[in-house]
Amino acid sequence: MHLQFEIEGGDFSAAGEASSEVKKTLKQLNIPPVLVRRIAVALYEAEVNVVAHAYRGVMEVDISGGGIYVKLKDKGPGIENIDRAMEEGFSTASDKVREMGFGAGMGLPNIKKNCDEMKLTSTPGVGTTLELTINF
Amino acid sequence: MTGQHYVHAIQINTEKCIGCSHCMQVCSTQAIRIVEGHARIMPERCVDCGECYSVCPVAAVYVKDDELELNLQKFIYKIALVPAVFFGQFPTQYSVSQISSAIRKLGFNAVFEVEHAVDFIKEQYVEIAEDAEIARPVISSFCPSVVRLIQVMFPSLTENILRLKAPHDLAAIYLRHINSNSNINPEEIGVFYFTPCASKIVAAKAPEGEDDSPTDVVVSMKLLYNKVYRIIKDIPLSDDLKRNSTMEPDSIKWALSGTEREYFKGRSLAIDGVENVIKFLEKLESGHITDIDFLELRVCDQGCAGGILCPGNRFLTVERIGERVKKLQNRLVENKEVVNPLMNHRELLEKGCKTEAIKPREGLLLDDNVEIALQKMKKIKALNSYLPGFDCGACGAPTCKNLAEDIVKGKANMSYCVFVQRVMEKNYKLSPEQAFQTIEKIWGKDRLNKYKDNHGEKES
Repeated sequence: MHLQFEIEGGDFSAAGEASSEVKKTLKQLNIPPVLVRRIAVALYEAEVNVVAHAYRGVMEVDISGGGIYVKLKDKGPGIENIDRAMEEGFSTASDKVREMGFGAGMGLPNIKKNCDEMKLTSTPGVGTTLELTINF
Repeated sequence: MTGQHYVHAIQINTEKCIGCSHCMQVCSTQAIRIVEGHARIMPERCVDCGECYSVCPVAAVYVKDDELELNLQKFIYKIALVPAVFFGQFPTQYSVSQISSAIRKLGFNAVFEVEHAVDFIKEQYVEIAEDAEIARPVISSFCPSVVRLIQVMFPSLTENILRLKAPHDLAAIYLRHINSNSNINPEEIGVFYFTPCASKIVAAKAPEGEDDSPTDVVVSMKLLYNKVYRIIKDIPLSDDLKRNSTMEPDSIKWALSGTEREYFKGRSLAIDGVENVIKFLEKLESGHITDIDFLELRVCDQGCAGGILCPGNRFLTVERIGERVKKLQNRLVENKEVVNPLMNHRELLEKGCKTEAIKPREGLLLDDNVEIALQKMKKIKALNSYLPGFDCGACGAPTCKNLAEDIVKGKANMSYCVFVQRVMEKNYKLSPEQAFQTIEKIWGKDRLNKYKDNHGEKES
């Protein structure tokens, strides 16, 4: 099963729509509810990252009997220091973004916590690609 | 899928049902289909919210409750367990004690207001709010339709549902206990619960997370209202102004929206109305909302005052209950403290107040096997892309997507769609006669007889 969503940078009102759709799909499969919740949280955080930091992105989702693989590729400023970005509480979010309740620096650590595998690659000035795997 | 049997109070009388599909269009869980001219409810999806009951133009949707008269004969000692919203159905010229006297006149030995148990629940909430082990947000278990909505549509949130019994259950446990010392055989004591909605009937008959219910008979509040109304004018106005309040005044408002949340420490929200509740739970399940400690959710707008078995206007009920709270508060200032008889039995209730964990239901599940479910999902997606997408309902399902699902489940086929039918007829894949039969299969025989084609001649 393949799903694909376009994510618009800066559109906070729509943030979470893609991850909600994925969650709705997962609920129709016999996957433990706890796992559905974990996936929903990870994808939402990942989606918000694109909205908050990038210009635009694409979320590609592949669901099989064994698990879910998600690839989020965005065009944006990229991440200068990936190790720092993974630290809890570290954020480069602007004040404007923080005022909206985002940018607490918990996004990436939270995603990692909820995934079985996570791969983050980035080219500063070009964009970031985040790959996640969660096994059923 | 286990094909579990689910108990429901909302039923359809196919004798009365005209297959108008109003109910199908309003059902929040897409649990209704039209089959052979009548509405049919999918038991694995229904949450007994009663939206269908409210829109049915011919009263074909009904609420299955217990027989009152027969049961009054069956028990020796009869207790009426009545929620505060019942008293709020009557104009303020009638006092609570007058209404209670009228209920006793109908054959009851005692009348007890459900909300007495709320004082106990408030104490429990203080403890629960301190327990960091419990998953946040804690979701109130008060509204049985909310509990079922979560089981069906938001299975991953079932662990957040508070494992505490409903006020009517706790009140019934207390009533059973205090009457157990009398010389009446316990089996001859009948606790009659009068309910403002259908979902509480199911909650009392087949409670979630409990083995059985301490209530014996559950009857619609509408019936009690009619019976009380008939005799209340003849009940003399008793002077109950000097009586102490037997519960904290604002406990009376518990079933409405907004009081319960005040008693749970931390950040809390009160949400009423089924669509509002669904929208919020959707966001919560998707991880969009964090840092909330407690959710008070009611499927009916204005909480139980908007219950489908409440005969009065919900806003008037809320106003009357509010006035009653004020009156009781004033009386507290003049008199002494609250004397709630139920609170003398705290230990008993503490032992019996918890429920088992609430388990998810299978209403959304396509198959137990993930691979097979994924195959089905692909088929649904493909079929859905052939359908027109404006959810006309002429196929007997509320949305095109629901039809696609039904086809994959083997409960319908593509020709149910009137648009697909046209294409099939054009391509000689379906004869007009077959198309006719398909429509009759969904909407019933004789459904297409209304329009008489006079071959272009004007009707005389």
